[in-house]
Amino acid sequence: MVKNIVVLGGNSHPELVERICASLGLTPCSRILTKFSGGETRCEVQDSVRGKDVYIIQTGAGKVNDVLMDLLIMISALKTGSARRVTAVLPLFPYSRQPDVPYKKAGAPMSRVGPDFSVPPTPGPGIARSAGLDNGTDMSGLMSKVSLADKAIDGGSPVKKSAPNGINVSQSRPGTSGPGSPLTRTFTTHNYENPALVSTFQAKPGYKQWVAQAGTLVADLLTCAGADHIITLCFGILYTGGATYDLHDSQYQGFFDVPVDNLYAKGLLQRYITLNIPNYKDAVIVSPDAGGAKRASAIADSLGLSFSLIHKERRPTKITDRQSASMILVGDVSDRVCILIDDLIDTGNTIFRAAKLLKREGATQVYALVTHGVLSGDAPERIKNSCIDKLVTTNSVPQDENKAQLGPKLDVLDVSQVIAEAIRRSHHGESLSALFAYN
Amino acid sequence: MANEIKLLSGSSHPELSTKVANRLGIEIARTTSLNYSNQETSVTIGESVRDEDVYILQSTAPGDVNDGLMELLIMIHACKTASARRITAVIPCYPYARQDKKDKSRAPISARLIANMLQTAGANHIITMDLHASQIQGFFNVPCDNLYAEPSVLRWIRENMNVEDCVIVSPDAGGAKRATSIADRLNASFALIHKERPRPNVVGRMVLIGEVRDKVAILVDDMSDTCGTLAKAAALLQANQAREIIAIATHGILSGNAIDTVNNSCLSQLVVTNTVPLGDKLERCPKMKVIDVSGTLAEAIRRTHNGESVSYLFTHVPDWD
Repeated sequence: MVKNIVVLGGNSHPELVERICASLGLTPCSRILTKFSGGETRCEVQDSVRGKDVYIIQTGAGKVNDVLMDLLIMISALKTGSARRVTAVLPLFPYSRQPDVPYKKAGAPMSRVGPDFSVPPTPGPGIARSAGLDNGTDMSGLMSKVSLADKAIDGGSPVKKSAPNGINVSQSRPGTSGPGSPLTRTFTTHNYENPALVSTFQAKPGYKQWVAQAGTLVADLLTCAGADHIITLCFGILYTGGATYDLHDSQYQGFFDVPVDNLYAKGLLQRYITLNIPNYKDAVIVSPDAGGAKRASAIADSLGLSFSLIHKERRPTKITDRQSASMILVGDVSDRVCILIDDLIDTGNTIFRAAKLLKREGATQVYALVTHGVLSGDAPERIKNSCIDKLVTTNSVPQDENKAQLGPKLDVLDVSQVIAEAIRRSHHGESLSALFAYN
Repeated sequence: MANEIKLLSGSSHPELSTKVANRLGIEIARTTSLNYSNQETSVTIGESVRDEDVYILQSTAPGDVNDGLMELLIMIHACKTASARRITAVIPCYPYARQDKKDKSRAPISARLIANMLQTAGANHIITMDLHASQIQGFFNVPCDNLYAEPSVLRWIRENMNVEDCVIVSPDAGGAKRATSIADRLNASFALIHKERPRPNVVGRMVLIGEVRDKVAILVDDMSDTCGTLAKAAALLQANQAREIIAIATHGILSGNAIDTVNNSCLSQLVVTNTVPLGDKLERCPKMKVIDVSGTLAEAIRRTHNGESVSYLFTHVPDWD
């Protein structure tokens, strides 16, 4: 029994709250957290928190904006209720994965795996050239179209108007990302009737369109609401769409004006490898993108496994003004078990394509170990049909539905113990570094 | 060109933004926002805002308050990091305005939290309308202009009603000041309904103070949400033999069963302004009338941009036509 400590759970992950409270030997603080009929969050804390050390557990899953507002309002309610210290425990930090320009670049979250695969070479000394995967845009096809169109222009033929650049070729492909495809996101646009407008959104000429980065804002808002301390669970590096922030010891922590602790799920994932993967000593750790190389190689190093990397090449092509991404494997995986390591799986495109490439390269089995299994949209359905043999994730976001859908294909690791221990140590002012330890 | 008005529109109320932009004779800046499949909001800005005077108009879409708010905060933050000279959040209907005090132990003062969040995100100025409690202005460390819909409401009453026939009724003690101000300016008589509110969104017992017999009773309030209060007040006025009962509210949030409540009540008309998107509610409620306040908002934006006084708008409807 830990005294003078209050654990308050949000609506996002009641099961995790229960587990954490069970390991701490506490009952969660009773509260009302609903919505007024107008959609505003209503929060009332019913137990006294005066002078208490309060931990709010809320994870960035489900309706993220509601979850975040609930959290901010709870923090502010506790502050006005004279809590001594308020710690926000965010197993999955909302808006931590910062947005890429979503519908322009191939390889960005909104693109999809195409039916065709070109054959880019895999570089490496003494390694046979292998088949790679591209982003579903058959460049040779596009090129030929373009040259045809050019010819038409040269000839002054009226065909020119009907085939302006040949860009539209990719749109006619079945399942290409677009308003009608199953992968289409729910859009909030200025024109509710016509979500297609979003994909035709054009920046002013001469101005590079860019997407707002909300990560720092969320950090600021938490501090502004009155959080004294923040605990979040991550792998060490957040993949942020091109750039990487090492959450443990550099920039992201610097965004906050309050102490931030990052717990590593690495130990958990590592133990899973040693206990559950037969002959893991012969397996290869694979990072699905260059941004995650550091975290994957950390695991490979501490387990003494070999390591390889999938490199996503983005070649801008002047013909289409689109960027093309092709995946290239660096390293040898033939006849071996592959373990893909990533921080977060959302739509899963990167990982699916990586798994496909690995299978193509002769991997016997592909495991995917991912800290946060968000699996939004139809991702669970697509995992079933993907080349991944087993997906391992933590319960940092609710996994019950995913588990029900995926059955034995999904293994869920429990992080409540780690979080509970972090809360206990933080409350008693003990060192948290044991939880950061790499083993 | 630096330091021009840039009007950005959130996704909650595009019609109002368009009206304001038309009044100002400018185009809405190119932005788009969408939700990722993991429900995070992503805002894209398609033109430069460097050194511009940025106005971001975002209202409160009923049922979607938190999404709208996050979108607004992300837009403000985006403009701040994109070096806008000044960022003004134009929030016709301030969210969480009703949670403005610690009314019970450990209740959050969410209105204050929103004020802090807007400032944290980078807003340099706030323009809002008919705050539920004008003290909310004090929650800000930056200028907060609270505009009134009252001039527009007065104009509507003068144009559509016979003023001698009217009694202005406040449905609760809190709104007495607002109602008396209208009654004074119309030179009409005034009545008040006293009510007890046991829980939020639930209406208790009511008592009428004043005379409404054979008169047109005009209920005046700052917002109509579930309309429970209005319906009960209307019933009470009818029991006191008012000839006709009309309700005028600035913010027509009309959540839950509000439309059915109004349709089944003895109100003959419900008049709201267009601070909040009404969607299909106009079709579903034939009793509803809308007053356009885009002129006031546009004029406030123009005056703020040019450094002119805004006080004129507290008593007058700007003439744009």
